[in-house]
Amino acid sequence: MHALIIDDSKTMRSILRRIVTELGFETTEAGNGQEALDVLEAGLVPDICLIDWNMPLMDGYTFVTRVRADDRWRNVTLMMVTTESEHGQIVRALAAGAHEYVIKPFTPDAIIEKMELLGLVAQEVPA
Amino acid sequence: MTVTLEPSLGDVHAVVEEVWSSFLGAEEPILPLATPMPPGGWSAAITVSGGWDAQITVNLTDGAAQAVTSTMLMCPVEDCADEDLRDALGELVNMVGGNVKSLMAGSAVLSLPLVGHGDISPGSHLVEVCRLELTWRGEPVVVTVHQPPTADPS
Amino acid sequence: MISPTSFAYVADLLRRETAMLCEPGKEYLVEARLLPLARSAGQPDVDSYVALLGRDPSERAKAIDALTINETSWFRDLAPYQAFTEAMLPPLLEARAHVKHLEIWSAACSSGQEAYSLTMLLKENLPPGWTARIHATDVSTSMLERVRAGRYSQVEMNRGMPAQRLVTWFTRAGNEWEVSPELRSMVTTQHLNLAAPFPPMPVFDIVFLRNVLIYFDVDTKRDILRRVSSRISPDGYLLLGSSETTLDLDDAWTREAAGRVWMHRPRGASPTDSAGSLAATTARATAGVARSIAPALSQTGA
Repeated sequence: MHALIIDDSKTMRSILRRIVTELGFETTEAGNGQEALDVLEAGLVPDICLIDWNMPLMDGYTFVTRVRADDRWRNVTLMMVTTESEHGQIVRALAAGAHEYVIKPFTPDAIIEKMELLGLVAQEVPA
Repeated sequence: MTVTLEPSLGDVHAVVEEVWSSFLGAEEPILPLATPMPPGGWSAAITVSGGWDAQITVNLTDGAAQAVTSTMLMCPVEDCADEDLRDALGELVNMVGGNVKSLMAGSAVLSLPLVGHGDISPGSHLVEVCRLELTWRGEPVVVTVHQPPTADPS
Repeated sequence: MISPTSFAYVADLLRRETAMLCEPGKEYLVEARLLPLARSAGQPDVDSYVALLGRDPSERAKAIDALTINETSWFRDLAPYQAFTEAMLPPLLEARAHVKHLEIWSAACSSGQEAYSLTMLLKENLPPGWTARIHATDVSTSMLERVRAGRYSQVEMNRGMPAQRLVTWFTRAGNEWEVSPELRSMVTTQHLNLAAPFPPMPVFDIVFLRNVLIYFDVDTKRDILRRVSSRISPDGYLLLGSSETTLDLDDAWTREAAGRVWMHRPRGASPTDSAGSLAATTARATAGVARSIAPALSQTGA
């Protein structure tokens, strides 16, 4: 499993990297939407993209619309991880094709539970 | 006409507490105690424009700024370069600012964060409408919101 | 770290007020939960805060809440909710077709995420004309107030709430999110200590009693299960936490698998002849009203 982490903050990328690495994911990082598109164009097809909204060059919302418009990436799960937290912004992101949405700040459990919802992480099987 | 109100102190405080408890350790809560802020230190600011115009600023001492960075990056304080501090404090004010923005009605746009040593003075057309003086690990942390003076609704 | 004397005081307080166990080894947990309260109360450490508890009832209530709150999420563990919609609702929709109503108990409801998660599933799955009520109970009155308010912080909303349901059922209210009046009207609250005799309550079709039995000793667990069996309809369902079981505790129950979870069911119409069937008999007698309208158990299995 592979996660593409897209955030202009190195600090936030490292927080997310620690969480998804624990879940067994390999990771690639991009500092904005354009860099992330370049990574996809170069041939990486991740299982999930974790996407910040506000970034220089290309924001996360634009990235989502670009990815959704291209059939090559139809199986890539898109999850926004952003400080944008108005009701209307979440509606917009979902309408553009994001599958899930995590609002910053979050705890590691929040990311893990959303990955479970998306079927990307198996839940612990009770004894 | 629409009267632009200001965010309530309690809501801003709740936002700051959520950011701190999520990323900076629930065992060292940020406390509602004013501690004198020595000169110098770091400032991180972000602006909101559109339906609501404002600047949100977090001021920290060198010690608190280093502790924030080392906790978020999970690296020893001595390994945190200035560049790391700028990045971590930028993300900190981004989270505080983004959530404060969503307290306000109307759609507005968040800028990218600006981080620097010393004060970042808000635009001269802005006045302070909210000031939180807090303490974390014995060091002062000050969060302020500046916005244009509220127009007389009449 | 908390002193042995303070820890013993806290353990005793919890036991008296909630019958929950707080055994040695949990010192770290108590310290972590009480330290923020100690700081807010202006106390230098947990020991001095515990000393304050003896003379300040409002701090005592806060401490009990902090110690009994579980980190909780929406649709916690997913599988029980899948069992709810896929395994429990279909037979109940058939069996209750004449009343078109379901009664569900969210026991030890804490801040209400379980109760409201269930209301969302009901809204999505109940046929037109049906109603349902979630009866949310807890030992903490401040938790019940939170359930009634139906307001959750950003951090709480992040925990397992699917984004689509968030935008459908919640609106922003300042720094929090508020559940829609439509869902709130489906939830009633009642103060209830599981370890004490139950107040008058309806007979339930489904009982969620998850992740709370673990806090009680074996005798109390057994007693709680016996009393729950008297409040559940003969064709109803009981869900426990994934590490909890009725096995070896109470003969009044059988269990059926639904995916990865066990649904516990009253032994009902075909009790075994074991000595422990007394509880089952009591259950059937008390649940008599609902029983007359319930079909014979078809799925409980041999």
